[in-house]
Amino acid sequence: MTKALAIGASGLSQHQLKWLLVVPLVAFFVLFFVIPVGLLFATSFNPAKVGQVAVVSDISFDNYIRFFSRSNYLMAAGRSVLLASIVSLITLVVAYPMAFVIAKTENPARNTFLLILVLASMQLDMVIRLYGMMVILGDNGLINQIFQGLGLTDGPVALMYNFRGVVFGLVQFALPFMILTLVGVIKGIPPSLEEAARSLGASRRRAFMRVTLPASMPGILSGSLLVFALSISSYIVPALMGGFRVGVLPIHIYQQVAESARFQFGATIAVILFLISATAVAVYLKLGNRSSGGLA
Amino acid sequence: MAYVEFSTISKHFGNSVAVADLDLQIEQGEFFSLLGPSGCGKSTTLRMLAGFVKPTTGTIHVNGRDVTALPPEARDIGIVFQNYAIFPHMTVFDNIAFGLVERKLPRAEIKQKVDAALAEVGMTGFEDRYERELSGGQKQRVALARVLVIEPEILLLDEPLSALDKKMREEMKFWIKNIQRSVGITTIYVTHDQSEALTMSDRIAVMDQGRVLQIGTPVEIYEQPASRFIAEFIGESNLLNGTVKEVDGAVSSIRIGTATVTGRLTQNSSVSKDQDVALLVRPEMIRLHALDADEQPKLTGTVAETIYQGSVVRYRIQIADQDLMVEVANRPDLPRLDMAEEVAVFWDADSGVVMA
Repeated sequence: MTKALAIGASGLSQHQLKWLLVVPLVAFFVLFFVIPVGLLFATSFNPAKVGQVAVVSDISFDNYIRFFSRSNYLMAAGRSVLLASIVSLITLVVAYPMAFVIAKTENPARNTFLLILVLASMQLDMVIRLYGMMVILGDNGLINQIFQGLGLTDGPVALMYNFRGVVFGLVQFALPFMILTLVGVIKGIPPSLEEAARSLGASRRRAFMRVTLPASMPGILSGSLLVFALSISSYIVPALMGGFRVGVLPIHIYQQVAESARFQFGATIAVILFLISATAVAVYLKLGNRSSGGLA
Repeated sequence: MAYVEFSTISKHFGNSVAVADLDLQIEQGEFFSLLGPSGCGKSTTLRMLAGFVKPTTGTIHVNGRDVTALPPEARDIGIVFQNYAIFPHMTVFDNIAFGLVERKLPRAEIKQKVDAALAEVGMTGFEDRYERELSGGQKQRVALARVLVIEPEILLLDEPLSALDKKMREEMKFWIKNIQRSVGITTIYVTHDQSEALTMSDRIAVMDQGRVLQIGTPVEIYEQPASRFIAEFIGESNLLNGTVKEVDGAVSSIRIGTATVTGRLTQNSSVSKDQDVALLVRPEMIRLHALDADEQPKLTGTVAETIYQGSVVRYRIQIADQDLMVEVANRPDLPRLDMAEEVAVFWDADSGVVMA
């Protein structure tokens, strides 16, 4: 600060000074995000060579051709999109009622309590949380014991090391993000909107369906988008809850890079994963503009 | 039974009393205002009538029907909110059609009614706009059209002008009143703005701290306020301190300093000899002129301040140790007074109101 002031005194304008203040952030961002991602992008266009990390000047589209000509990679991409979509939907359905209750709770103490409840799980590292879930979801886990004890099933139902398990893990992970996003938006809807709908003849349920829910569409869209992006890029949850058996794109990236040392092809999958996410953002924004009269 | 009837209605929120023992009768077709400072209970009263708030005690009847326990959607009441509550995800057309869709009218009839409502509020051509594309005044018109199109028994207006700028407010005041008159709908208007209430209402209920202090026509409320609070809340007032010298029916003589003036008593009030009272005189009721040597007016004062406001000139006149605001039309036949000038102060006997 004193240095900045000294520079200011030495003839820099207010305006230039302001730009000086963002230098640390920009430097960090460039060094640890822009350059690595740029290199990753460049690497994806290098010819495949096992064990080679450095970027070379040869340009090749072989990695992309390989990705799009192998059905297991295309299936993995489809599986990733499906997984992220299902997780977004389930998270939304589970989170909305809770978010609604929090947004409508005016008592500050109760409100804080509910928010702490939501945020509590975020205080634990994801890996620890997932091991905790395994105790519940495993073949000898709590749920299977209850099911069998009640005679609902003969043997254990596979609740983890499969697609289902990954969904459970990701929903658990994504819920707080969705709830917080929704609370903000639902709180911002003036109560008079629902009251206006009621006095115009709508029952409580109709008023919710026709007014409150559509008015919270910006939150539904941005929450879903956030959860979609978090889910499709998650590695740790598919790794632990899917036991490497659910081949989504991040698992393939890990396998290419860490197990096969095929950095170029790993980079290619990463770029494609990024493009899928970016497309989802674009679609959501378009949807948002249409469904909410430009509110999103 | 009146068209709208509140019987011993009260509303408690925890330990605080928002409305206490309210009795109101509102006639069909009447423009009735609930006027008072914020927190006086006027909004709670309106919200109880709309069905958003359940009264703690008492009953509300509308058109002979007990609506106390009915949910809002069963009440046939239209309400316009301070923020207009235009549904942001719907076009103007869909906003106005909302109540008609809920009533399951055929599509063609909805279209016809919405078109008529748009024409009535002067918003034809705005069907496809969204809320964010409308000005404050336009939102107001849409909100009113949305309510009038369902032809409710009662129209409730909750501070509908307070979000508008001054010029628009003046315009909408007359516009709303005209619409109300042409539709003939029973209207209850909540406001803290006394000039809105005076301009628009057939009758006004002045409220404070959960109670109705006075109900009357704008003329009654302004010219015969029942208490000092009302006198000071409605319009501008001079309250001169004095003592009662003599009481003669509805008229009494009040001693102010060394002078004696007359004032009339309002209905239901009484004073006795030697009682300390205040005499209410509105600034525009007072006349001034420069003191003549051979004249002996009852009251004299000196000009302490002159405020030129274009259409009127305001003087602060000092009488003994009290201040009196006087408002004089800016006309060539009325003399302009100078600072520190000694002046005679007059008002008609009827214009002074004695407040206990």
